[in-house]
Formats: sequence, C-alpha cells, structure tokens
Amino acid sequence: MAEITLQNVSVEYPIYNLRAMSLRNNLLAISTGGRLSKESRGIVSVRALDGISLKLKEGDRLGLIGHNGSGKSTLLRTLAGIYTPTRGRISIDGRVSTVFGLGAGLELELSGYENIIRMAMMLGASRRQAEAVIPDIEEFSELGNFLSVPVNTYSDGMRTRLSFGVATAMHPEILLVDEVLGAGDAEFQVRARKRMVKFIERSSIFVLASHSPELIETFCDRTIHLEHGRLIGEEVVRKSPAATATPRNPVP
Amino acid sequence: MVYQPADGDMLQGLRKSVAIAWYFAWSDTRARYKRSVLGPFWLVLSTLIGVVGLGFVWSTLLHTDKAAFIPSLAIGLVVWNMITGSIIGGCTVFTKRASIIRNIKTPSLRLSLELLFQQIINFAHNLLVVLLVLVVFQQPLSLVTLLVIPGLLLVFINLWWVIQLLGFIGARFRDIDPLVQAIMPILFFLSPVLYHSHQLGRTQIIMAFNPMAYWLDIVRGPLQGVVPDARIWVGTILMAIVGWALALWMTKAKGARLPFWV
Repeated sequence: MAEITLQNVSVEYPIYNLRAMSLRNNLLAISTGGRLSKESRGIVSVRALDGISLKLKEGDRLGLIGHNGSGKSTLLRTLAGIYTPTRGRISIDGRVSTVFGLGAGLELELSGYENIIRMAMMLGASRRQAEAVIPDIEEFSELGNFLSVPVNTYSDGMRTRLSFGVATAMHPEILLVDEVLGAGDAEFQVRARKRMVKFIERSSIFVLASHSPELIETFCDRTIHLEHGRLIGEEVVRKSPAATATPRNPVP
Repeated sequence: MVYQPADGDMLQGLRKSVAIAWYFAWSDTRARYKRSVLGPFWLVLSTLIGVVGLGFVWSTLLHTDKAAFIPSLAIGLVVWNMITGSIIGGCTVFTKRASIIRNIKTPSLRLSLELLFQQIINFAHNLLVVLLVLVVFQQPLSLVTLLVIPGLLLVFINLWWVIQLLGFIGARFRDIDPLVQAIMPILFFLSPVLYHSHQLGRTQIIMAFNPMAYWLDIVRGPLQGVVPDARIWVGTILMAIVGWALALWMTKAKGARLPFWV
C-alpha cells in the first residue's frame, strides 16, 4: 500500500556564493579564528520548505499550487527522496516515479535507442525491461529512423518526445509530475496529454505541481497552496462538468 | 508495454546498480569516440607513443638497458594513466552529473563506480601496449604473474574510494579540481613510473608515504616476475580499509547535501 507521511518537514538550502565554494576562504576562516567566518564564507541558508505536514494515501490526487519559488519543486524533490529534510520526518512507502527534469542524462552523441535504454535504466528499469519498452516509445515518439541517429541531430521538440516517452513508459506507483513540458507541436501535445492521462490512471498516488487551474481541476482531487515554503491553504477541487480529461490543452 | 521495476532486496539493488554503472561507462566510452575511426584505440596509440618516446629518451638519459627499462615503463605508465584518470575525474564525478543528481534519486556510489568502470575500460585497452611490450622484450611468465589479479583488484578497490571521496570534496570546494590537476604532473616524477623505488637508495623511504607507489608496485611486480613485498600488500589493504571508512563516513554524513552542492 503506497503511503507518504510528512511531519513538520523543513528543507534548508545552503546557497554558496563563489567565495564560499573556494578553499582559500575556508582556510582563512580557520586562521582568523572563525570571527570573519560569517562574511568570508558567505553561506546563506534559504528555507525552501518550512514545517510542512502532509499525509498521502492510496488513490490521492494532489495538486501543488503557488508562485514561482514558493517551494513546489522542492516539495516534489523531497517527496522523490532526492532532498532530505533538514528538520522533521518523512516516510515514503512505495516506489516513486518522477516526470521532471526531462532529458537529465541524455547523451547527445549516442543514438535515440541507446538513450532510451540509458534513461529507462536510470529511472529504475533493468536492461531487459529497458529494451522491452522500445516498441512502445517507437510508436509514441514517431521518431522513426531518427531513433538510430545521434540525439544531437534532434530538434528540441524531438528530444522532448523522446524523453517524455521514456519517462511515461514506467508503471508508476507514486507519481510526481512538475509542470515542465511545453515543447512540441499541437499534434504532439494532444498525444502527450492522452498518454499522460493513462499514465496518471495507473498510479496509486499522484502529485502535480502546476500553474494551470485547468490542469489541476482535471487531474487532482485536492490542492495545497504553498507560499514561501509554508503550507497556507488546502482545499478540495470542485469538478466542473466541462473539466474532463479531454485532449485539448497542453499537458502538464 | 509497461515495465514494472521490481522493488527487490538489497542484493538485487546492488546488482542493478552495477549493471547501470557498467552500461553507462561503456556507452560513455562509445559516445566519446563515436565518430573517430580508431575509436578507443586512439588511447592505445597515445600510450604506445608515450612508451616508445619516453622509453628511448629516458633509457638513454639514465644509461639503462632498454630491454629492462621499457617493459617497466610501459606497465608503470598504463597503471599511472588509470590512477590519474580516476583522481582527476574523481574531482568532478558528481558536479558533471549535476542534472542527474538533482532530478533522479541516484546513489552516489553508483556514479563513482561508473567512473571507475570507465577507467578500467581504458586500462583494458591500454593492456594491449603492455602485452606487446612483454612479447617484444620477452618477459618471463610464471605463476607469479597471476598475482597481478589480486593486485589489480586491490588497486580498483582503492581507486573507487578515492573517486567517491574526491567527488564529495570536489563538489563542495571547486578549487580542488584545478589544484589536483596542477599537482598531478609533479606527482608523476615523485612516483616510481620512470624508475623503481629501490633505485632511490636511502631516499626510497619517501615512497612509503606515496600511496601511488604501492599501487604501481603491486601491479608491476607480478608482471615482471617479482613477488611484491609483504609491506606493499599490507599497505595497500590498509589503505583500502581506511579509505573506505572515510569515503563511507563522508557518504553517510554528506550524501544528503550532495544535491545542493553540485
């Protein structure tokens, strides 16, 4: 049974300016007895999440809303286990799949096929499982013979088709999606949306960070509102009859 | 078609990580030489040129016998290339993969293993040069030669912790990479690549403090029919234990900070 629990979770980023990254300043800080340390080391800490408590269980469809920099992406990365809370407790029960940072690990000199295997393996597939998804991605991406040539010959849209295809070939349990897509022509958007809907249906817990009220209404049952890393509101999504998962708008 | 990654136990997870690291190391090597005719054999050629060039110049300068000097130099140089490749590459092993670390949950040990595998692949190619030299200069093969296998394994184990540890330090302090690049050339002359430790006479004591001297001797000895001293074996094993303790401590203490450092 998939389940996620966050208890009073805070995540603080150290922001290193160039001086903090240098060894000289750290040595200097030691030799000056640390008196200058605050200034010379220049580490500023930013609290990206502040005391978030949250419980997600089987069947939950959660939308994250908030301005840029409000902590949505940090929360997603925390739920994915990439960031570790600096305070509070998190327990993640279930396998996490993510659709964000598409194209991470794309090797431009290698062919589309080789990149499918690499990305699928990075997302948790074994070599054999990675090879087994190739037909599905061939069909979805419609890249045809381009899959045999190096990815650096692809347009941005083609790269998106490839990495989106791989990211959504998973069987997700806990699915975390950041609003990142947008490339690709209208026709691709329609197909991507269809694929996304099916992909979300297969997941047991789904979290979407988005600026689009329409997408949130379509895919989510409840939302939490973040501001400056704090949870400032929580509400149930009222479904209007018009909002169905019809393929007409951009995918998340 | 969908795939369902198995949750699996730790052993399975380990096997999977090794498989990914291997596949990535191999495909990265292929990517690097994708459009060149010789491919990875450029590496072999450059090693060969190095061995021939340095071999003739230094054997003349040092007034040594080429038949004794060149095999020793070839093995030394090939091992040295792997050591420097790991050390210099180790400084940027995590920063170069920042986009992966920030977007996909990835064990840092898998990334350092990937670099080690790349170095081992390069090393395997370079072994052709060693083989060639051993044949040309008719080095005696015996059971002692087999000792090169545990010797190499110990070197690999040591290089893995070096990469892991330097990866963390290099991600936190960006000066480490240029600093290491600046001191590697001088370390070349302070390590027994062009010479043997015993040729230093009384000053060979400084080799006791050079980890790379141990790694060079433990591989070169067996290939030249010499059983490495017990001191070399014990030293290398001790380094592996202490180094791994440090690297694992670093991974446990700072692993959570890595996505913010890179």
